[in-house]
Amino acid sequence: MASNSSLEQAIDKILKKTEKEILLDLKNSGSDSKQTLDDSLPKLEQEYDKIISDGNKEADKIEKQIIGSSDLDVRNKKLLLLEEGVDKVFSKALDQIANTDRSGDYSNLIKTLLDEATKILGTTEVTVFTNTKDKDVVKSILSKYSGAKLSSETIDCLGGVIIKSKDGTMTFDNTIDARIERFKPLIRKEIASTFGVGN
Amino acid sequence: MTLEGGVQYSKIAEIKGPLVVVDDVDNAAFDELVEIETSQGEKRLGKVLEVGNGKAIVQVFEGTTGLSIAGTKAKFLGKVMEMPVSKAVLGRVFDGLGRPKDGLPDPIADKFVDINGEPMNPEQREYPKDFIQTGISVIDGLMTLVRGQKLPIFSGSGMSHNLLAAQIARQASVVGKQDDFAVVFAAIGVQYSEAEYFRRSLEESGALKRSVLFLNTADDPAIERIITPRVALTVAEYLAFDLGMHVLVIMTDMTNYCEALREISAAREEVPGRKGYPGYLYTDLSTIYERAGKLRGRKGSVTQVPILSMPSDDITHPIPDLTGYITEGQIVIGRDLFRQGIYPPINILMSLSRLMKDGIGEGSTRADHSEVANQVYDAYSRAQEVRALAGIVGKSGLTEIDLKYMDVGDVFEKEFLTQAIDENRTIEETLGILWKIVSKLPKNEITKIKDKYIDQYYKEE
Repeated sequence: MASNSSLEQAIDKILKKTEKEILLDLKNSGSDSKQTLDDSLPKLEQEYDKIISDGNKEADKIEKQIIGSSDLDVRNKKLLLLEEGVDKVFSKALDQIANTDRSGDYSNLIKTLLDEATKILGTTEVTVFTNTKDKDVVKSILSKYSGAKLSSETIDCLGGVIIKSKDGTMTFDNTIDARIERFKPLIRKEIASTFGVGN
Repeated sequence: MTLEGGVQYSKIAEIKGPLVVVDDVDNAAFDELVEIETSQGEKRLGKVLEVGNGKAIVQVFEGTTGLSIAGTKAKFLGKVMEMPVSKAVLGRVFDGLGRPKDGLPDPIADKFVDINGEPMNPEQREYPKDFIQTGISVIDGLMTLVRGQKLPIFSGSGMSHNLLAAQIARQASVVGKQDDFAVVFAAIGVQYSEAEYFRRSLEESGALKRSVLFLNTADDPAIERIITPRVALTVAEYLAFDLGMHVLVIMTDMTNYCEALREISAAREEVPGRKGYPGYLYTDLSTIYERAGKLRGRKGSVTQVPILSMPSDDITHPIPDLTGYITEGQIVIGRDLFRQGIYPPINILMSLSRLMKDGIGEGSTRADHSEVANQVYDAYSRAQEVRALAGIVGKSGLTEIDLKYMDVGDVFEKEFLTQAIDENRTIEETLGILWKIVSKLPKNEITKIKDKYIDQYYKEE
């Protein structure tokens, strides 16, 4: 019996000791966890701030992307629409020029074009090319330019003349088409300004 | 725009490399624009390089491949090459000659400007002193770019200069001011994939809206490359001095420009200078680089970041050498850093922004900027010496302070230099990292910073 009670006492002692140790461990773990939590709080806050600021940066970036690409889309559509309008005005104007009455002041225009062209080539000894509609007008004026000859070959243009030196090495294109082509950027600007663009 | 068109000549005496010699020419002018018509009716542009004795030498921008003496005609247009400019060029993509490449019509021009530009009156120049934030720490912190400066990037073949160029183009901004900012990007002789990368990169970041792109790809005729930087700068000058914007012009790769110049010079049989480049390379480059600046009484500015790849990484090569004489500092991309996988691999010890001191400090960036930057330069330089020493005696042979400097070198490369290609750091963030590096050193090693800044920003670890 005595051995039983001493065994029980030993067990009790061990249990108490273990209980004490466990409680101490629990207490330590509790304070450790509290300490860890307290320590990690500022880090957590820093991390949180970083995530928020990275998120804001990303959001700004995406916002810029969306706004930027939509702005460009709108601008591009406007440009295409404007170009369509300019093209329509151009083709209407070209039609009107092509069907201009060849009588009256028109011969003055041809004379100016011939004057300009012969002056630039520096000679009146030239071959003149024109379209079927202007042939008669050019023929009537050409007698004033000594050495100038009208080619039997006709060219496809709205009006005006192309002149070539007799040896064929120099050519000057003074057709209405060529003049329009030269001024196209300025004419486009004028037309666009009537649509309220580029003022 | 001239009233009269030009005379077309059909007597071609010779076609040599990119040059066409036209015979029996009267009244041609130096630099006059010429339209070359092939026997198939195809039209190409060129300009007059020389006139005299009834002959005109024409440089054909689109090359002379397929041209023959018989059947080729040259029309002298009576005007120099002009670029149509207006605000509508923003957000557009052009080729190397300034023609739209984005499928949209020509922009409606506000005016037509000679691409050679007008020289800036030196007396009217204003000293550059305003900070441009690129969002790249190493540039903003240690080699700050200022408005009106010309700061080239010296790189080598295959290195990440194009990534860096695109990142600067996407991120560059004027801090704290509502002034308009624009980027003009000129890609000279780049690969198609690189050109696409630049375009897509600006488009996807939303930065294309404030940018103008000129793309001359490697398969475009080399001679076009002579024109690309000039049309880009013409647009930049218009945006800056007519519209009052702050314009950053990035030109990559200027080596391709110089090679095109060498090609023309060789075809003209001029006496070659160093490495076959013409003797006037310096003068020619200065006509491009000197178009950067600010003018008194005008609101805008033109800032240039030309990028050039140094053949065989040779900084004494005529292109970087002559560029360095004209520009205000340089940013050097280092092969060693590139091999280590560091981006951007900028070698700070070989780099310098000569105008940095005027663009930083109180009112621009922060009062301590200059001092903390100097301290970091010094510490990194020491770290490199210590690394070299460690290579001989081993780490165990180093003193405690040497080890600290080694640590500074590592932190500098890992945290300050290294940056993601889409990471846009503010100047405050950049200065924060500089202070983190300085804080790795004991206080007694900090000799370049005033105590008041040390008290304010130094955080001992």
